[in-house]
Amino acid sequence: MGHNVLLVDDSSTMRKIVGRSLRQAGLDFDNIFEAADGLLALEVLEKESVDIVLSDINMPNMDGIAFLREKANRANMKDIPVFMISTETGEDIIGEAKALGAKGAIKKPFTPDMVNEILGPFLK
Amino acid sequence: MNIGQDIIGATTDIFSTMLMMDLGVGDPLEGAGGEVLSNITSMLGLGGDIRGMLAVHCPAAVAMAITSGFLGMDVDELNEDVKDAIGEIANMVAGNLKVAFAGYDMKIELAIPSSVVGESFRVAGMQGARRVAVPFDMEGGQFLVELKYIVNS
Repeated sequence: MGHNVLLVDDSSTMRKIVGRSLRQAGLDFDNIFEAADGLLALEVLEKESVDIVLSDINMPNMDGIAFLREKANRANMKDIPVFMISTETGEDIIGEAKALGAKGAIKKPFTPDMVNEILGPFLK
Repeated sequence: MNIGQDIIGATTDIFSTMLMMDLGVGDPLEGAGGEVLSNITSMLGLGGDIRGMLAVHCPAAVAMAITSGFLGMDVDELNEDVKDAIGEIANMVAGNLKVAFAGYDMKIELAIPSSVVGESFRVAGMQGARRVAVPFDMEGGQFLVELKYIVNS
C-alpha cells in the first residue's frame, strides 16, 4: 500500500524536483500534496490524510520551524512525521527542528538515492 | 578565507548532484569585471555577521537549460518556473556559503530569493563591499555567481 506525502516549499520548482526524486527513488506514494509555506501546509493537514511531510525551512509567511511548532500543538496532526529538506543544515537549526519533532533532514542539493536512504527505511 | 573557491565548490556540487552536469569553471574575479549579459538575475540578501547579497546572473538560454534539467522537460520561455529554478540555485549556493562562513567563524542568515527578468539591466549597490564573482560555462553559454559583502564590525 502506498502513502500520501505533503511537500512544503515556497519554490514550486523545488516541489516538482522533490516529487520527481521520490518517484525516481522508487518510493511508493498514492498522492503527493503540495503547499507553498507552513500556513498552507497546516490547511492541507487539516483536510487530507497525510503520512509524511517533507518541509523546507526558509519560507515566507510561516517558515519550517514555526510550522513544526504549530503542528505540535494540534492533536490531529502532531504525530505525522516531518523531514526537513533544506539548504539549512547547521546543527543549531536542525537541532531546533528535531527538538520540535522533525525526524531527520535532507540537505539540498540531493539525489534520489539520498532521498531514498533517509526516507526509505521509514516507509518500509 | 577563500570565498572564490567556496563559490566554486558550492556551485559545481549543486550542478553535479542535481543536474548531473559538469561545469566549466572560470577564474574567480575580485572587484569589478566579468559581467555577463544577463536576462535573469536571482538574488538573496545575507545578514548576521556580514551584510551582503548573493546573485546568480544568467542569459536566457542558460536559465532555460538549467530549468529544463531540473524539471526534466523542455522550457522555451522565461516563465515562473525559470525564475523559481534560478532562485533555487541562488538559495542553494547561499546555503553552502553559510556553511563556509561558519568555518570562518562567521554566522550568516539567509533571506528569501527574488528574481528579476529583463533585456538589459545592471544590479548595483553596496558601496564599499567586497565583490567576488565566478563565471561558469555550460551548454548554452556562461553564467555568473556573484557575492558582495561587508563584514559587520
